[in-house]
Amino acid sequence: MSNEHTSKAFDTDLQDLTRKVSEMGGLAERVVADAVQALTHRNVELATRVVAADPNIDALQQDIEEKAILTIARRQPMAIDLREIVAALRVSNDLERIGDLAKNIGKRVGALEGDFYPSKLLRGVEHMASLVLNQLKHVLDAYAGRDLDSALAVWKGDQEIDALCTSLFRELLTYMMEDPRNITFCIHLMFCAKNIERMGDHATNIAETVHYMIEGRPIADQRPKGDTTAFAKAMVT
Amino acid sequence: MNVATVTTTPTVMHAPVDAAGLSERISIRGLNFYYGENRALKDITLSLYAGKVTAFIGPSGCGKSTLLRVLNRMYDLYPNQRAEGHVDLDGDDILSPKQDLNLLRARIGMVFQKPTPFPMSIYENIAFGIRLYERLSRSELDERVESALRRAALWEEVKNKLNANGLSLSGGQQQRLCIARTVAVQPEVILFDEPCSALDPISTAKIEGLIDELKAEYTIVIVTHNMQQAARVSDFTAFMYMGELVEFDTTSKMFTAPHDRRTQDYITGRFG
Repeated sequence: MSNEHTSKAFDTDLQDLTRKVSEMGGLAERVVADAVQALTHRNVELATRVVAADPNIDALQQDIEEKAILTIARRQPMAIDLREIVAALRVSNDLERIGDLAKNIGKRVGALEGDFYPSKLLRGVEHMASLVLNQLKHVLDAYAGRDLDSALAVWKGDQEIDALCTSLFRELLTYMMEDPRNITFCIHLMFCAKNIERMGDHATNIAETVHYMIEGRPIADQRPKGDTTAFAKAMVT
Repeated sequence: MNVATVTTTPTVMHAPVDAAGLSERISIRGLNFYYGENRALKDITLSLYAGKVTAFIGPSGCGKSTLLRVLNRMYDLYPNQRAEGHVDLDGDDILSPKQDLNLLRARIGMVFQKPTPFPMSIYENIAFGIRLYERLSRSELDERVESALRRAALWEEVKNKLNANGLSLSGGQQQRLCIARTVAVQPEVILFDEPCSALDPISTAKIEGLIDELKAEYTIVIVTHNMQQAARVSDFTAFMYMGELVEFDTTSKMFTAPHDRRTQDYITGRFG
């Protein structure tokens, strides 16, 4: 018994899918980093590039989807093979959403006006983004390496991001109450923070998918939740 | 030969199937089978449930057809073949030397790989078996033949040519005629030994649809080399390898997340 299929072409199909998902993951990581960089440094040109890069991610997702469907039709996969293909579909879906969220941040950078650009708030966003990028990197490594422990670590690690997001929202609220002229900027920043928090959720989705792919069953535990106040619960999912 | 003292623990390494709501029709316990000196089945312990389809899968020579042949004592037709252990049908010991084999085979019908209609009319193909076990009036017999053909989804195609030779039918129709013949004697269990391997996809789909309908009334066991077929038609799947039962579980579990590495390697095409 070996790890290889009797049909070598099937192995190639599956490897090809995993490779494409990893490639898409690399692209998604880059647009997230660029979007946050554009936001914190108010770099409209970089933001435009982020927006322009989104169709590449979408095209890769479509490519993965077509390849997965074709492989299912051609090979009628079972067990681990079936789970790997379903995982490729799910992960590429999450990555596509992450790309969309990054694109949305890019668009908001272009819409920001005025001099109000509080560095303290932006550092908070930056910190949150670095945590999300770290999660994304680890979960993509877990996917490529079929590493259950890393996937579980990512799955449990979303709590801090949620907490940061909630505290950022509270802070933004005080700025808005202080001076209504801040509202436009704060709302944009709030959406950007929310986008980054959603990216973290997609990273945990991917962690769940990796767990399913390896173990053949969903994660049984409840994901740990930090702040349980009504405000925090309403802000993050 | 039936050795009543064989007691072995099951060799299957998996969580037991949740048998709640299931009624065991055939109970196989510590079954060993020999072709002369060659031990072809090793300590098989397995339950076949009423109203459910159980698929036996595994590479050629793994013992799945042998196991099927034990269930209706088909091996009795050959010398030097013997089974040891317990196989009970509703508590009745199938392996007992006192077992009436004709009656047993009426209770446990079998459909073979290649369609095997008798060289006689469609009507007689079915009536022949019924007459062996029961004395029915002409009208009762007609009724039984029609009901068997209907249950085998063949009636509409042959009702106007019941006197035509069974061999004049297409391969798929011949196989359904064989199923009708099996159903006509009102068995409790039906064994299918690769029933679709000689049929085209349309006929295969018809037989599979039929198995799905028949399972409400019968306990069905199917041996198949076609993984997708096992996944489509069965409720439970048993994977056998080199005479051993490696894994037995619900079909949905077996084909999405099997427990044993050997099962996974086989169903995903990673064997040998």
